[in-house]
Amino acid sequence: MTTEIVVARRPTHGEPRPYQFPRFERHELANGLGLITVDLPGRALVTASLVLPSGAVDEPEEMGGVTSLMARAMTEGTAKRDAIELTEASERLGASLHAEAGWDGLSVSVEVPAERLSEALELAAEVAIEPSFPAADVERLRDERLNDLLQAKADPRRRADDGFVETIYAPGSTYGRPSGGTEATVPSLDADACRAIHGRRLDPARMTLIVGGDLDAVGEDIRGIVESRFGAWPRNPTAEPATEPHGTAARDERIVRVIHRPGSVQTEIRVGHLGVRRRIPDFHAVSVMSAILGGLFNSRLNRKLREEKGYTYGAGAGFDMRRGVGPFAVRAAVNTDVTVPAVQDILVELEAMRAGPPSTAELHAARDFLVGVFPLRFETPPAVVGAIAGLLIHDLPMDELDRYRPAIEAVSGGDVEKAAREHIDPAQLAIVLVGDADAILPSLEGAEIGPIVVDREELPGQTPGGPPGEGAANAA
Amino acid sequence: MLVPKVQFTESRLPNGLRLIISEDHLAPVAAVNVWYNVGSKHEMAGKTGFAHLFEHVMFQGSAHVGKAEHIALVQAAGGTMNGTTWLDRTNYFETMPSHQLALALWLEADRMGTLLDALSQDNLDNQREVVKNEKRWSYDNRPYGSWVEKMLGSIFPDGHPYQHPTIGSMEDLDAASVEDVSAFFRLHYAPNNAVLSVVGDVEPEQVGAWVQEYFGMIPANPDLPVALPDMSLPARIGREIREEVPDRVPLPRIHWGFRGPLFGDHRLDALDLAGQILAGGKGSRLHRRLVREERLAQDVALFSMGLVAGASVTAGWATARPGVDLVQLETAFWEELEKISKEPVSTDELERAKALTEADELGALQSVHEKADRLSMYATLFDKPEMINDILPRYLSTTAEEIRAVCADVFRADNRVVLTYLPAGAEAATDAAA
Repeated sequence: MTTEIVVARRPTHGEPRPYQFPRFERHELANGLGLITVDLPGRALVTASLVLPSGAVDEPEEMGGVTSLMARAMTEGTAKRDAIELTEASERLGASLHAEAGWDGLSVSVEVPAERLSEALELAAEVAIEPSFPAADVERLRDERLNDLLQAKADPRRRADDGFVETIYAPGSTYGRPSGGTEATVPSLDADACRAIHGRRLDPARMTLIVGGDLDAVGEDIRGIVESRFGAWPRNPTAEPATEPHGTAARDERIVRVIHRPGSVQTEIRVGHLGVRRRIPDFHAVSVMSAILGGLFNSRLNRKLREEKGYTYGAGAGFDMRRGVGPFAVRAAVNTDVTVPAVQDILVELEAMRAGPPSTAELHAARDFLVGVFPLRFETPPAVVGAIAGLLIHDLPMDELDRYRPAIEAVSGGDVEKAAREHIDPAQLAIVLVGDADAILPSLEGAEIGPIVVDREELPGQTPGGPPGEGAANAA
Repeated sequence: MLVPKVQFTESRLPNGLRLIISEDHLAPVAAVNVWYNVGSKHEMAGKTGFAHLFEHVMFQGSAHVGKAEHIALVQAAGGTMNGTTWLDRTNYFETMPSHQLALALWLEADRMGTLLDALSQDNLDNQREVVKNEKRWSYDNRPYGSWVEKMLGSIFPDGHPYQHPTIGSMEDLDAASVEDVSAFFRLHYAPNNAVLSVVGDVEPEQVGAWVQEYFGMIPANPDLPVALPDMSLPARIGREIREEVPDRVPLPRIHWGFRGPLFGDHRLDALDLAGQILAGGKGSRLHRRLVREERLAQDVALFSMGLVAGASVTAGWATARPGVDLVQLETAFWEELEKISKEPVSTDELERAKALTEADELGALQSVHEKADRLSMYATLFDKPEMINDILPRYLSTTAEEIRAVCADVFRADNRVVLTYLPAGAEAATDAAA
């Protein structure tokens, strides 16, 4: 071998530079608004994020999507300026201003050069405190969401994600629908609904403004700026506290659901069931287990399906940990003719994860990655601010991020096996396949993976002019 | 506002490897970014997709590194890594905790020097299947997924090195032999065809010593640089090219494409600012008119993909709202392009676009990865890493008249490709508008 070209000896590493998650300080305004400041010297593009630990979880099911719509509509104008004036004012500062809501949280955020933080927070405060919700603009955003739902049906990835969630949660479960709402709930949403949800949810006493970046470069006292922008915001005594997400599994047995997409050159595979909430005692063991199963590049799933078999561009698995029980899913897109062997490989790996502790090499690879990559994750202000927002949304202790690395280091092989046995149940797996049913079914039926249901719905774009079908399900 | 100047040093090893080092001790992280001066434009007819295939093969092991071990070692060290392929170049990069920098340098050296020691038929077959699944996933099984391939195919003439997309064709990938792939590697992946940038919490002297130790023995390839065919093109396509594309989509979408000024030409900076003013957000002209006011479109876009020879690609699209007359949509889009070609943008529009560009630069340069990538880029494509500090002043010096002039040159009926994506089975619904 031509080994002299590059030295064979692998380098050893140096002494790690001490690292801790950036220190942050908490304050509170007289109106109850929390303020967290985190100084990140040299980071002159500052991120400020006003966070409410309440999101789509807390909306009535029949108004599904209202929180998400309301959040997007917050930047459509305020009592002082219309949407264009607001955008232009923000752009003059070089600021990007946006509001969004997910399942468990809502945020109004701005990224802006440090010396213009004060002016940017003035805009953010208007957006949070006195959005005007113009009827026509809310209607437009609502229609855009409906169009987006059409697009989601036509995109195999999004169809698989949505189909998977519909399949694993029992009807009425909080997380069983998309957080942005569905064709059934979105059409009735309007500006009044946005105004109502804004009035019921936003309250300075339940919210926290997180500011991260080079605070010296701001040139003024942050607390003074925040006091001047948000201090006059009255408490909202009628605001309702966040509710508990509720959800149960749709079934306690396996199901294979095929969503027919004729002519698909790949099958989008999702395999899983209900997962875990974020606040669980074995969070760190689940994180390590999940990295070994489907998180690392050399995870068991990616090694098998990609690096050994070449079935896919990538296979992964993970737990979407929310305030309530989010989904656990294996994901891969494989060429159509290997759909069944790929599913069988996934099932084998899920069984194997429970069958014993991981090898020492796997355990070290996962722990070393999670511990080592931690400082890289928090290089810039948006990441630091986002991590602190996560603490608030999940109601975690303020030292949770400091405890992360020691807790990961302490995870044992036995902990990983236990986490797999407790949180992965092959008997309850839903296997959702978006692909060409006619090509898949013959081999699928012979594979005896589980009872098969086939959806031959009309997908958008297949039949001109017709509305999307309801999807007649028939047992195969 | 002050966007800090990026300070760096550069040197060259006797084998031609160019080394650029920039210190940034804010976070305990270090970025390694290797640019190879090989892109899909270097591929021969019948052998398309090779530059991108290497993005996979380069992770299959080398003399001292096993299959997929590169990634395992980087991840176990707490690092992240990837590679990307473009028409003009490919790059490979790692971001590491700074005390693990030597490992990343050694891994890059081992595959630059000894990749072929580990290349096997099995690995090639495996990664060929992976790439074919990447193509299915990224292009074939994706709504509107064919637009890039169609746009390159129309903007560039037959036989032009930019005419095919980086992913290549399935047939060429199937036909690729170990010998073909080895020959491609021997030609292009040599130290005198690469730029290595190291940015972050590093000591330059130590970096220099490691680079000398790990890369110093890798021989240069005397056959470089590779002579490319003449890539020059007329500034305009010379005619309008239209195509209706039936696809599995619920909403029609119109894609536009144009030949634009080259990357590095100040006129492309002006065109980038035009893209911001036309489609850069809620207050932009196209968004305001098509999405907000006339409600013809679900979304709009307009941007340029800079290329160094022949022409860049300037591309835009508008996704129609249900039931919208596509002629009306196309006409409205085109009217805005004509308007910006005739009347200078307002001072306020220009100032807003510049303020956003400045903030974007400030944000981008907060990342050691981004700094390393840009240093390698400017060194590889222009032999001028110092351009990393020139770009923002160039944007900020752009005038309204420069923007108008470049728009007038680019947004012309005889320089446009119009691809109309229609829900499959729908009646042909468009005719030439405007």
